[in-house]
Amino acid sequence: MNAPLAGKDRERWFARVCEELRPDLFRFAFWLARDRQAAEDVVQESLLRAWRSRDSLDAVGSARQWLLTIVRREHARRFERKRLETVQVDQLVDEESPELAVAEEREVLDMRRAIMRLPDDYREPLVLQVLMGQTTHEIAAQLGLTQGAVLTRLFRARQKLRVELGLGEGADQGDDGSSLGEPT
Amino acid sequence: MNCLQFRQAAGADPGHLSPEAAAHRDTCPACAEYLHDLLAMDVTIRRALEVPVTDGAAARNPRSSPVVPQRRWLALAASVVAGVLVGTVLWIGGPRASLAREVVNHVTHEPQSFAATHSDPAVVDRVLRAGGIRLRPGAADVTYANSCPFRGRIVPHLVVRTAHGPVTVLVLRDEPLTRSIRLNDDGFRGSLVPAGPGSIAVLGDSRSDLSEITARLTSAVEWVEVPGSRS
Repeated sequence: MNAPLAGKDRERWFARVCEELRPDLFRFAFWLARDRQAAEDVVQESLLRAWRSRDSLDAVGSARQWLLTIVRREHARRFERKRLETVQVDQLVDEESPELAVAEEREVLDMRRAIMRLPDDYREPLVLQVLMGQTTHEIAAQLGLTQGAVLTRLFRARQKLRVELGLGEGADQGDDGSSLGEPT
Repeated sequence: MNCLQFRQAAGADPGHLSPEAAAHRDTCPACAEYLHDLLAMDVTIRRALEVPVTDGAAARNPRSSPVVPQRRWLALAASVVAGVLVGTVLWIGGPRASLAREVVNHVTHEPQSFAATHSDPAVVDRVLRAGGIRLRPGAADVTYANSCPFRGRIVPHLVVRTAHGPVTVLVLRDEPLTRSIRLNDDGFRGSLVPAGPGSIAVLGDSRSDLSEITARLTSAVEWVEVPGSRS
């Protein structure tokens, strides 16, 4: 479906798209920043930037990817500008405790904490794949990586989560006796 | 493909197996179990990632909220609200349209499903049981069955052989609908119909009239309890 060409119709269409995608944008920003306040600021600024550049968006299908890219860049820009201090992940988890401790099942709570602890390089592609529904090809394009590198990061992300949550030993040995070194 | 290669591939993208990986899964119970665990973990990952979304400016922390951006946000919000009010007609059906798009996206990302000509009855049975459904005996010739992550849940993804060619069926227990939605997108035609506690998506190629098949398949589904469900 193409976007309306111009004028008020286009503005209405664009506003609708932004509103529809806003929860996803917020969640993406939250998992980049691991901070609710920072995520809201990033989304706020990103939507403003998107609004100013709305004429460059030509189809509904590309809106999601386009807005996610803007959020990602805005997060990187803020991170670089503000030189956010590095904090211990445990401290981060504690500070986000209201976010983490909402009434959820224990396994969801544990998983959220484990995802918090994942390295950025593993967490981001996992969020794009599982939450945003992107293919590994799309993630590679979004992150400027090869598809092989994305597959490796996704594999390692799940491995770390499995190990941290005690869900298994991982996949370093197969039941048929096969073994594997580092994934490529 | 050996077990380790399978686990590496499945660990990177458990929802989209290559034909080689799918063939390995069908012949290796341990890897099938491993995949099942991964898919279940992905459901938990998705639920964990779905942090609550607050109501934008209203939920902002005044201590750290910069005044100017907030005003700018309010200005934008006002324009958004105005747009939404004027475009109410366009809004109706937004969530349903989104569901329909996701169904088509899911199917297009699993092309190997159309290539399958035969499925192991044990695999079909496992997929159906995991999804909390049964198919009336003889109701459908299932050529492909997979437990797929979809919107944070594991859902049965089936392909059945029909006179109109392969037809895809997604059983969406957690996606209730009040009325049917027609699908016609990306070379697929079909419908999402209310069924049991949720809905069922039936898709074929864009030339087929699937109304009869849809009715037959939806009536062939019997809803039972999902294993491990707490309700």
